[in-house]
Amino acid sequence: MNQTIQNSLQDLTFKSILDALPCYLMIQDRQFNILFANHSFLKDFGAQVSGKTCYAVLKGVQHQCQECPVKETFKDKGLHVSEETIYLADGGIVEMLAFSAPLFDVVGNVIASIKLLANVGSIKRIHRELVTLGQSIAFLSHDIKNILENLQGGVYVVDEAISEQDHNLTLKGWDVVKRNITEITRITQNILYSAKDRKPALQDVSPEDLARQAGQLFFDKAQNLGVQLLLQLNPEVPNVKMDPAGISRMLGNLIWNALQACQKDTQKKIHQVFVRLDYYDSHHFMYEIEDNANGMDKETYENIFKGFFSTKGHAGTGLGLMLVKRIVTNHNGKVEVLTKPGRGTLYRIIFRLGYVAEDALMSSPALADGRMDDPCYANHYLREAQDGG
Amino acid sequence: MADNKKTILIIDDDADYLFTMETFLTRNGFAVETADDGEKGLALAKEIQPGLILLDVMMKSLYSGFEVCRQLRSDPLYKGIPIIGISAMKDELGVQFEPASDAEYFNPDAFFDKPIDKDALLVKINDLIQAG
Repeated sequence: MNQTIQNSLQDLTFKSILDALPCYLMIQDRQFNILFANHSFLKDFGAQVSGKTCYAVLKGVQHQCQECPVKETFKDKGLHVSEETIYLADGGIVEMLAFSAPLFDVVGNVIASIKLLANVGSIKRIHRELVTLGQSIAFLSHDIKNILENLQGGVYVVDEAISEQDHNLTLKGWDVVKRNITEITRITQNILYSAKDRKPALQDVSPEDLARQAGQLFFDKAQNLGVQLLLQLNPEVPNVKMDPAGISRMLGNLIWNALQACQKDTQKKIHQVFVRLDYYDSHHFMYEIEDNANGMDKETYENIFKGFFSTKGHAGTGLGLMLVKRIVTNHNGKVEVLTKPGRGTLYRIIFRLGYVAEDALMSSPALADGRMDDPCYANHYLREAQDGG
Repeated sequence: MADNKKTILIIDDDADYLFTMETFLTRNGFAVETADDGEKGLALAKEIQPGLILLDVMMKSLYSGFEVCRQLRSDPLYKGIPIIGISAMKDELGVQFEPASDAEYFNPDAFFDKPIDKDALLVKINDLIQAG
């Protein structure tokens, strides 16, 4: 067997070995013209690269790159490495590690540079994910430490109030403790829920019951914050198959977000949060959570569903909305966000009536026409809502 | 201007923290003023010239704690007010807010990470006020 392999190897040509390399390889002259390219290179950049400059082929530009390992190799006859972003002929963009080494003539002059490009996109992606994970843990830790500080502070206040027999101060301190226990419970539950990309445990449930139960959980908190929490639920929306735990978490996160947004808004005297359930069209129903708080700016709007993006300062990890998005996606639903700075925010969650896991919700013309994504429509809607229209 | 050496200004956008820290400090003999964002905090600091400021460094307001500190430190009238920086991110981000390492940008007299060791905080507050 070994002899057979040996014979086969002897039959291989130098070029066939280069062509078989699972990376790009090219040889260039001092003017950066490509003299030779292996099969992988020709396959992804086209067959007509010979004689063209590397920067024209790899970057689509007409000037040398600022940092060029090939130039360095010609300069010092050394091996050079760089990270490069390469534009493929099909429009793809890849991050590559480039190695440049000299090819010498018989008297030791550099006559060409051999350049090898290895795709490190997946490694870079993993690296970015690890960085994101590290930052996420840091932000979570930040939030938890803030809550611990407030719990310690709340306990201190209660202790002092008890020793002073100050009933009002006891209640105030106890409120701090309760609020922060609620917050750390919410964070913990969200972490646990987000730790695993679970499939929804579908049951036959009443969308109205889920919304009513979710709303009832927050009536006391809304009252404490001075916010009117109003349920407008259409009892005619029929039972559907959904994961009640996931939908409850989704509604809870949205209601809590809306209440906290109202708490932060100091510009209005009356704050209201609406929880609505109604038909969206003949095939879909929708939940709506609407507040009349301060709305969102563009940056916030564009980042709300990314994990650990939060505008709530000490009061939020940003995990809640990421979970909302995931739960909705797991139910083949759709989230629409309508907001206007100074006016408020409306989250609309649309599900198919009946719900079939693999059904194509987005095939609905009503959902595909994009009218809800139109900011003018959003502004109009909120104006109407605020004017009682 | 009245002697406000025993007045501590707390600047933080967390209402629970403001309330509990205010309670803690008043029970320990200090007068306390509070501000829930950087802008109000800066204005109040200039108005009352407190004996010390407890300053959250990561507020979501136009003026972060860093900016409040920079503005106070760059004004001869207020640069002598002792400032204790407070955050819950110092260890996680490996941030070093030591006075000597970043004097241009953020120059607190001390730094505490949440949850705060209250005994150590009291010792530091008293040291800074007496030295001021």
